[in-house]
Amino acid sequence: MKIWTMALNTFKEAIRDRILYLLFFFAAVALIFSRLLAMLTVGDRVKIIKDVGLASISLFGMLMAILIGTGLVYKEIDKKTIFTLISKPIHRWQFLLGKFVGLVLTLFIMTALMSLIFLVIIFLHTSKIEGRLLLAILFIFIELVLITAVAILFSCFSTPILSSLFSISFYLIGHFSWGLATLIQKAKPGPTKLLIQGIYAFLPDLENFNFKTEAVYGLVVQPKSYFYSALYGIVYTVFILVLAMLIFKKKDFV
Amino acid sequence: MMNTILRRRKGFATLSLVFLLFFAGAGIISLKNTVDRIPRKKIPGASIIYIPSGKYLKYATFGYSSLAADLIYIWAIQYYSTYTIVDRFKYLEHIFSIIAELDPRYTDPYEVGALIAYYEAKDLKLAFKIMDLGFEKNPDQWVFPFEAGNYARIAKDYETAQKYYERAMKVSGAPDIVARLYAAAGFKTMDFKTSWETWLEIYNTATDEHTKKIASKHLYQVNSALDMNVLREAIKQFRERYRHNPKDLAELIQTGFLTSLPKDLDGKDYLFDPKTGEVRPPSIWWKR
Amino acid sequence: MATVLQIDNLYKAFQVGFIPRKKEILRGISFSVDSGEIFGYLGPNGAGKTTTLKCVLGLIFPDRGQIEIFGHPHLSLEGKERLGYLPENPYFYDYLTASEFLDFYAQLFRLKKREKKEKIQSLLQLVGLEKARDLQLRKFSRGMLQRIGLAQALINDPDLLFLDEPLGGLDPLGRKEIRDIIVRLKEERKTVFLCSHILQDIEMICDRVAIVVSGRIISQGALQDLISEKILFTEVMLSGLAFDDLISLGEPLWARGEKIFLRVLHEENIEKLLTLVHDRKGKIHSIVPRTETLEDIFVEIVKQG
Repeated sequence: MKIWTMALNTFKEAIRDRILYLLFFFAAVALIFSRLLAMLTVGDRVKIIKDVGLASISLFGMLMAILIGTGLVYKEIDKKTIFTLISKPIHRWQFLLGKFVGLVLTLFIMTALMSLIFLVIIFLHTSKIEGRLLLAILFIFIELVLITAVAILFSCFSTPILSSLFSISFYLIGHFSWGLATLIQKAKPGPTKLLIQGIYAFLPDLENFNFKTEAVYGLVVQPKSYFYSALYGIVYTVFILVLAMLIFKKKDFV
Repeated sequence: MMNTILRRRKGFATLSLVFLLFFAGAGIISLKNTVDRIPRKKIPGASIIYIPSGKYLKYATFGYSSLAADLIYIWAIQYYSTYTIVDRFKYLEHIFSIIAELDPRYTDPYEVGALIAYYEAKDLKLAFKIMDLGFEKNPDQWVFPFEAGNYARIAKDYETAQKYYERAMKVSGAPDIVARLYAAAGFKTMDFKTSWETWLEIYNTATDEHTKKIASKHLYQVNSALDMNVLREAIKQFRERYRHNPKDLAELIQTGFLTSLPKDLDGKDYLFDPKTGEVRPPSIWWKR
Repeated sequence: MATVLQIDNLYKAFQVGFIPRKKEILRGISFSVDSGEIFGYLGPNGAGKTTTLKCVLGLIFPDRGQIEIFGHPHLSLEGKERLGYLPENPYFYDYLTASEFLDFYAQLFRLKKREKKEKIQSLLQLVGLEKARDLQLRKFSRGMLQRIGLAQALINDPDLLFLDEPLGGLDPLGRKEIRDIIVRLKEERKTVFLCSHILQDIEMICDRVAIVVSGRIISQGALQDLISEKILFTEVMLSGLAFDDLISLGEPLWARGEKIFLRVLHEENIEKLLTLVHDRKGKIHSIVPRTETLEDIFVEIVKQG
């Protein structure tokens, strides 16, 4: 219950942040621009619109998660608004979890709005809405939830600028790690290979949530794949949040 | 007294700033016009040429590889329609292989790449290469070996044509005409009439928009080739009689060399340049 | 009388500087606060007042020592349910309005809806901010922030109230209002823990004080015990006499027109002075005996420490 109070408060804070609307504006522009871009192509126009649309939702969602998330805890510590809050009967972990849920709620609404514009544009072009697109968007959202957790983790101990850099690095590494898999295959067996394999197992594999290609080409995806990817996302998010709680638990607020 | 002087100075300052703004604005517009008129050696984004293998590019796009493929493809279309860039075919293979690496299932670039390779760069081997690549990544697309077969046939290499038609035939969903072409490949040169009929049949029996569109493009091309032959013949006869080019296509009718002016499949007129005597279709057929 | 706050042997050191060096802030703080009293916690800047308070509230974790609130370990939620805290130079969520802000904290105490509304209304009235109830906190002045801070500290009707420099940044009228509120809280049998620099106010309202210097408690006890009732000197304002007459009796401080302001050290001299004025037909305008003030003691103690 207290987590929910904290979450609603964070939601109010995030939704009154101007950066949210700036990013949403750019996302809307990108989505509308996709129609113009599609006119320049020879062949399948809808593919262009789908690609640009899904990429926009993913990119701007990520920016929203990082730019707002990295300030959430840091601002409270820096501006000392956290003093009165900690003196109230609320556990530190409830505070953190509340912040997380609040931002996820905000992102959910923003993603839903962007998706709405996207689907309307698709509908105007193809007169149908494919379930696969919705699934792709769902997994983009799961990825955003994980990134939010990461942003909040960094927000616990570093400034917004550094936290943003770390979070973006996490995102890039996450999309790069499957390239690491190729590297592993080429490596000679031995301690180096084991080391790389160890690192690979642990690094986030954000490509797991990337169903954009499948959605655009209408490829068949096994339900097992969806299920395990979602589970991976949830478990990794929990892992990051627990890490954040541990760091936050014994922090001195000078 | 001081006040009016100050006011006048202020007013003068504002007025001169406004004039400066106006002239700067006019300058911007006229300079842009001048720059636009200078024929470009390259078009913006040409540095894409210098990207190394597409294999590594895929890693650098962090999950947005199909979007990158789209953007490079759209750029390539503009690049290859800019006829002032005379050496644009140098990197044809490279650019389209990058697109293929980024999004192997994207069928449009393979087709358009092969079209450009064959009809514009006059590089048959490259056209085959692109079609082979497309078929390798998309073994369910019969259009790739089919078009390769067509290119081979037009180039009078019937053996290769037959091999390709056989491959296309084996793909489920291939129309019957492919089987017939396979059979005919050994015996006949394709003339315009058969070409037209082939593509018309594909157009009419096509089960998806995609194939229909390809067929319609080819229909346009055959039709315009036919029309242009007629026009060129008329122009040639005109020149033999009058020893100069007609001033426009209408003159051919007036002087009785043509009964009517052919229009392209979209209903538009063909373009004629009286200075060179060249005739051109109003649309680039592979771009329609 | 029950002990509401018990602090034993509190130690805290921070690592400061690029090459971390240990800086000790608290070096064995021990004291206790009893129920129903107003307790003053004094000390020069950097003595460790705010650090002690932050340890009690769970913002900082001490290296050694024990803290108990109402007999519970200080970090427990039971303890926190009954306390309120107003930090120094308060800063709150600037995107919330005054009523939203109080509502948020009320929810953390799980007050019921109607209870909440009434409580918020009465608190806003108490601190004189009803008119600003729908104003965003970012538009509040320093004094207004102080008041809303006090309101949030009182939202749960706390039995123990921690106030860190509550009178800073307020005009004299504001200070009187806050002082009155604190005294009223005492009448309602609440305990108030007050950190302050403004010794006049402490002297006016506190029952007991503790003085901290460099992380140690130098002196603690009831105010009346610390400050002797002894008269230090008497300040007399008179007219009708000449300077030379007064030199032997006291120290003339200043003169304005006819009036002379005199400091008399010994009580016998007062008698002699009064006789002298009567004889010379002068006039006594005022006689004010000055006892020891908290400020005197404080300065003395800090100098020694």
